[in-house]
Amino acid sequence: MSEPTTEAVRADRLVPWGRSWTATLGLYASFVRLSFLKFLAYRLRYYTGVISYTIFISGHYYIYSALFRSGTPGPGGAVTIGGLTLPEMVTYVAVGWIGRSFYFNNISRQLSRMVVEGEIAMQLIKPFHLQTVMLSEAVGESCFRLMMFTLPITVVIVPLFHLLGPTDFALYPWTFLSFCLALVIYSQWNFLIGCLAFYLKNIQGVLRAQMVSMDFLTGVLIPFTLFPHWFQVVVQWLPFQGISYIPVTIFLGKRTGPELYQAIGLQFAWAIGLFILARLVFKFSVRRVIAQGG
Amino acid sequence: MAPLIHVRDLTRDYRLIKKREGVAGGFVDLLRPRYRDLRAVDSVCFDIEAGEMVGYIGANGAGKSTTIKMLTGILTPTSGKVSVGGLVPWRDRLQYTRHIGVVFGQRTQLWWDLAVIESFRLLRKIYEVPENIYAEQMKVFDDLLGVGEFLHQPVRKLSLGQRMRCDLAAALLHRPRILFLDEPTIGLDVVAKESVRGFLREIRDLQGVTVILTTHDLGDIEQLCRRVIIIDKGEVHFDGELEDLRTRLGRRVRLTVDLREAVTADDLRKVTADLPVTWRDREGKNHVAEFRRAEVSGAEVIRQVVNDCQVSDLHLAEVDIEEIVRDIYRAAGKEKA
Repeated sequence: MSEPTTEAVRADRLVPWGRSWTATLGLYASFVRLSFLKFLAYRLRYYTGVISYTIFISGHYYIYSALFRSGTPGPGGAVTIGGLTLPEMVTYVAVGWIGRSFYFNNISRQLSRMVVEGEIAMQLIKPFHLQTVMLSEAVGESCFRLMMFTLPITVVIVPLFHLLGPTDFALYPWTFLSFCLALVIYSQWNFLIGCLAFYLKNIQGVLRAQMVSMDFLTGVLIPFTLFPHWFQVVVQWLPFQGISYIPVTIFLGKRTGPELYQAIGLQFAWAIGLFILARLVFKFSVRRVIAQGG
Repeated sequence: MAPLIHVRDLTRDYRLIKKREGVAGGFVDLLRPRYRDLRAVDSVCFDIEAGEMVGYIGANGAGKSTTIKMLTGILTPTSGKVSVGGLVPWRDRLQYTRHIGVVFGQRTQLWWDLAVIESFRLLRKIYEVPENIYAEQMKVFDDLLGVGEFLHQPVRKLSLGQRMRCDLAAALLHRPRILFLDEPTIGLDVVAKESVRGFLREIRDLQGVTVILTTHDLGDIEQLCRRVIIIDKGEVHFDGELEDLRTRLGRRVRLTVDLREAVTADDLRKVTADLPVTWRDREGKNHVAEFRRAEVSGAEVIRQVVNDCQVSDLHLAEVDIEEIVRDIYRAAGKEKA
């Protein structure tokens, strides 16, 4: 379909046009690359990130240490809270935040700013899907984050708090795959939130509220097992557990065999479902683009 | 052959919240907003043939940009029909945008943080421009716009003039069939304006692109477009050749006279009593007369003035397009009143 037809070009017709699969992949791959290069150019801004993540995880470490000291030992002789021992709890929190340093992005803020400032017009005049472009850029950003945040933080945190790695080495690639799916879910959710800017005059409050509630609902702040039962039931039906809770519990070896495949399958389903939903919502919303000026 | 761009009864409303007064009113607005529709574009019709260069002009808020946004597929109209080469811009956006180039003078389509050349490479991929055409186009842009100088600078470090030249090149890289220019010379200095206009003339002759241009600067129109469409309050008021516009309103000529002694306008009216000339109400040494070339020749008027008065200096000039357009607006206002 990408080849223009050989018939003579008529002055009053535009030739229908489409991109081949390979060209499409190549195009979006170049967005991944450029986004990576852009972040690399601004890397100085991010050096402090390693320190703040480390401080954050240390804070959690000391809070949980104090909590576990005051707890009463269970039948096995070790203190457990929400089914986790202290080393497991510390690993849970640390891996959750190390993962967050990988999948995090600001799509919702970027998209809403484009809409509010009318910059989105410049994206709509190009023959590509803005949603896929932004996903590709998020992937590029995560490649950068993996290199500049995730790996350095891991190197600092693991020996510092004697984190428990799984003895089953197959769990490492599974965890990585799971965090990659988390990236898709996270970015598509953010894209959907960004679309709210088409409908709301002031979206800053919504963005802040969702940022905070996300950290709860993904399970990165506190494991779900510490919450009341009804909360645990509710989060089962939401996409957010696929962002942090599922990958971290895979890493901790809490899901094995069919449970593991089930969890990954669930993430896949949410990733694809949210991608399609985001595409439809964006398409519908674009028809409501508010133009500035006459 | 059908026209390339076909626009019929194109209409777009904006919905605005009608605010109630006071604090209590503010609360009521939150719960039950009242709307009023503002018609930005009202039943606009025109056809544009392939290869034409059309000036689309109007005052602020006349509906220019809204029309352009609908023609480029960004905005969906409230009602009406647009067909460009068989495609509907807002419905077939992905296919359609492949064939158009767009420059919004106030914004850039280049990637802000990247070197200019990276933006061009990316655009090459977006539009699947073959290697040989890419090379040819880049050579043309370097020859005509001199973009070669700053290809390796990041976009955010370019001056406005440089950025506009890059944006024009970016919009034309894939040899679009139609080029939309929204205020392409806004904020540019005289030299940069000339360079942009020269480039547009060349590219029209070289690549036969169809151009629709909105502008405040009537100099752009005079130098580039044979055909103009004038829009005011969302409605088309004139659509035709620039030359027709001039003759329809009569080629008006303005004579400025500097005299050695102060006189009143009435004194001068007596001097040219037998000629169809209007003198502005003024007193002193400087006076202005207007007349139509079709009715009386400049030489005739000048001879009479010089014969009867002590003239120190004379200046004869044709009334420019800007005033003609202002006349059209004024006429449109009267029709409505």
